[in-house]
Formats: sequence, structure tokens, C-alpha cells
Amino acid sequence: MRYLEEYRDPAVARALVERIHRTASRRWTLMEVCGGQTHTIVRQGLDELLGDAVEMIHGPGCPVCVTPLEQIDKALAIAARPEVLFTSFGDMLRVPGSECDLQQLRARGAAVRVVYSPLDALELARRQPDREVVFFAVGFETTAPANAMAVWRARELGVPNFSVLVSHVTVPPAMTAILDSPDNRVQGFLAAGHVCSVMGWTEYEPIAAAYRVPIVVTGFEPVDILEGMAMCIAQLEAGRHEVENQYVRSVTRSGTVPARRQVERVFELVDRKWRGIGTIPRSGLALRPEFAAWDAERKFGLADVTVAEPAECHAGEVLQGRLKPHQCPAFGTLCTPERPLGAPMVSSEGACAAYYNYGRLRTPAGGAA
Amino acid sequence: MCLGIPGRILDLRDEAGLAMGEVDFGGVRRDVCLAYVADQVKPGDYVVVHVGFAISRVDEEEARRTFESLRAMSQLEELDWMRETADASLRPFEQGGAP
Ligand code: SF4
Repeated sequence: MRYLEEYRDPAVARALVERIHRTASRRWTLMEVCGGQTHTIVRQGLDELLGDAVEMIHGPGCPVCVTPLEQIDKALAIAARPEVLFTSFGDMLRVPGSECDLQQLRARGAAVRVVYSPLDALELARRQPDREVVFFAVGFETTAPANAMAVWRARELGVPNFSVLVSHVTVPPAMTAILDSPDNRVQGFLAAGHVCSVMGWTEYEPIAAAYRVPIVVTGFEPVDILEGMAMCIAQLEAGRHEVENQYVRSVTRSGTVPARRQVERVFELVDRKWRGIGTIPRSGLALRPEFAAWDAERKFGLADVTVAEPAECHAGEVLQGRLKPHQCPAFGTLCTPERPLGAPMVSSEGACAAYYNYGRLRTPAGGAA
Repeated sequence: MCLGIPGRILDLRDEAGLAMGEVDFGGVRRDVCLAYVADQVKPGDYVVVHVGFAISRVDEEEARRTFESLRAMSQLEELDWMRETADASLRPFEQGGAP
């Protein structure tokens, strides 16, 4: 457990911890949605600190982790083609596919390159008109505006040798899917602050009302999370179920309107598979028909590929909060950050990697790095 | 990729109809698309940037605090991609070469 003195505002943190202990008449079960929040909670031991007032379930808030295996396999199939230069955000390179990962494919000679922005991938396509440049467009609502703009610009500038492999997911349908599950235990949500700085929180209002569940838009720093927990627990104790905003420094109700508009112009809602969870209706984004010429799945004829996921990896249960990462039999043995079985162990935002890196091992001599 | 990184806008320009600008992230400089915040920013302002796109404006104090927390959480790996790709990414790709 870490000491409150390590926080930037130890006095504020201490006051919030006391407030939570004082307010909670029982132990409440909350879910944080954002992988950055999971990281903070595990790193700072916030869940241990508040163990008798609140149980934190780590939600499916890491886009790398929820990208289904078949999308990784499609990426590998495209990247292996000799005419293709495959581009991706850095954290997708080590996500295991059925056979290998993108990094291993690159070591075998495939043209795979990390870019920071999808506009860089577009620029590569413009400079190398004789190559097919494909970008792996993954992420939540935080990266959707960037990927939407890259496709929009490709059309505007007329770049035929650029395309995107889209695997976008959106947060609210995943929350609804968790609430709909018959063994759901989540009583309140900390919504992801950075997602809401793009999207605002209007989408969460009907969820809070229909499921009678408080949702607090929360930042990712320790004091933010403590305050988000305190606000959520105060609502639960009072029998309220509203959307509240802890992260006022960065989030407004309507979000960043020009970014939302651009996402709507380029993408439409589709059913999307989540790694280990299965298909969630209208939970993903796909290119609208007028952008089909920039759709890599169509261009390379991969739209119908489906792949079964490995049985040893319990990512689905972890991502839905039914298992804590260290309760997965493979955790720390068959599955480590060096040799990950599933995506939650690869991404630094993943719950399994957070547990591993911060020494939450089942056995004390587990040998966390 | 989900946590945006705050940086300071050094300049603003129009690139074939798209608002772009150079942004300083604690010493690492990088071209960023400013189209989504163009009507509310000027050089010297701080913005939160997700994968090369400014998504919201923040004040200087908030930018500094957020940057420091990201550093403390070792969540600045995007800066490494930025650094790695700053000069290399737009060069023609040589088959089998390192990124
Ligand atoms: S520990 Fe590894 S195998 Fe187990 S759920 Fe996490 S990623 Fe999958």
C-alpha cells in the first residue's frame, strides 16, 4: 500500500478517504471504465485503502485489450502483403494474434511502422503512391476524431493508396451490456474523463435513469478518483442516480462539438465484437458507405474472417469484472508481459498488466519485475 | 492512447485547409492538428492532445499538473512514439528497416 504523503495533495486525499469511510454505510461495488484509472487505482492501492467501503471492479476501458483477436489477425494478414506498409499506434504491436504479433511479423521482414498520428500514415501514403499504406484505426472515442479526420482528408486530397482497418469501440454500450448481464454486480460507474472531454456526458443520462445507477465523470489522477468515488457513494447512500461531473477542469456536458461532428460524418454505429465479451449491439464504429474506398477490410477482402479466442485466457471475465486479473489461472505463469496470452497483459492500460507490474501476485514470491 | 497529453501551442498555420500547429510537450515538439479547437486557441495556449489531435483547451496550471501525473504514472510512452517517429516517420520506408 502506498502512503497518502506521496500524493500531490496529501491533505485533500486524506480528507476524501475519511469522507468515503464516513459516508459509506456498507460496501459498495463501483466500476471504473478507463484503463488509465485502473492504472492509478492499482498503482496507488486505492482499492486496498478503501477496501471496506468500496470494491472496485476494473472495466473494459482499455481499447487495446478489447480489440478482438480476429481484428489482430486481419491486421497481420494485411501487414504480411508485400505491397503494404502497415502503420499502427505503438501499443498494438505486441498484442498477440493467433499466430504471432505485428512486431514478430516485422522481424520477419514485413513493413510495419509505428506512427504517432493517423495523419502521419496518410502523409506516408501521399509520399509513396506506389505502396498501399494501411492504418490500424483502433480506440475509443478519444482516438475516433483523429481517425475520422485522416479518412476525411484522404478523400479530400484524393489519396487512393491509403486505407484504414477500423476497430473502433464506444463506451456507453459496453456499460449497458455490463448492467444487462444477469450476474452484474456494478452499482455505480466512474465514467472515463478523457472520453467525456470529447463526447460530453449526454449519452450517459438515459443509462443512469434507466438502470438507476449513478455515473460520475472522473479524471485519472489519484485525487480525481477518490473524489469520483466519494461523489458516487454519496449518491448511492442518498438513493440518487444521476450523471455528475467530477472532472470539471476538462469536461463539459456537450464535449468537443466539432470533433463529435466529424466522427458522425465519417463513421456510423455498428455491432462490434469485444475481445472476450462477444458482440455488443451498436457498440462500434465503422466507415460510412461513402468512405468504402478507404476501408482496408473491403480493399483486401477480409470482411468475413472470424476467429475463436484461446480458452486459457480469461480476458472476457476480467474485462467484465467477474474475475480479478490475479484470479486467472494463467496470470503470472503462462501469461506475463514478456509473453502475454491476452491483450489485458500487453497494454500498459490493461488490468492484467497493472496487477502484474504493481506486484499483485497470488504468491508473494511471484517475482514481479 | 486514451490519456491525452497536454502541450503548449507554439504556432498555428493552415495546411491545405486544415488547421495545424507545432505543440511543445515538455521539450518534445510535434505537429498537431488543431482543427477541433481552432476557434478557441492562439499560440501560447495549452491543449490536451490525443494521437496528434488537440481535443480540448486547458489552463497552464492544469496542463503542468496533468503532465507531471502522466510522468509519475509512466504514461508518457506516446512521447516516445513521437520522438521515434519525429524524423523517421515520413522518410521513405526501407524494407525490413527498424521503425
Ligand atoms: S492474465 Fe493473461 S491469460 Fe489471464 S486474463 Fe489476463 S491476459 Fe488473459
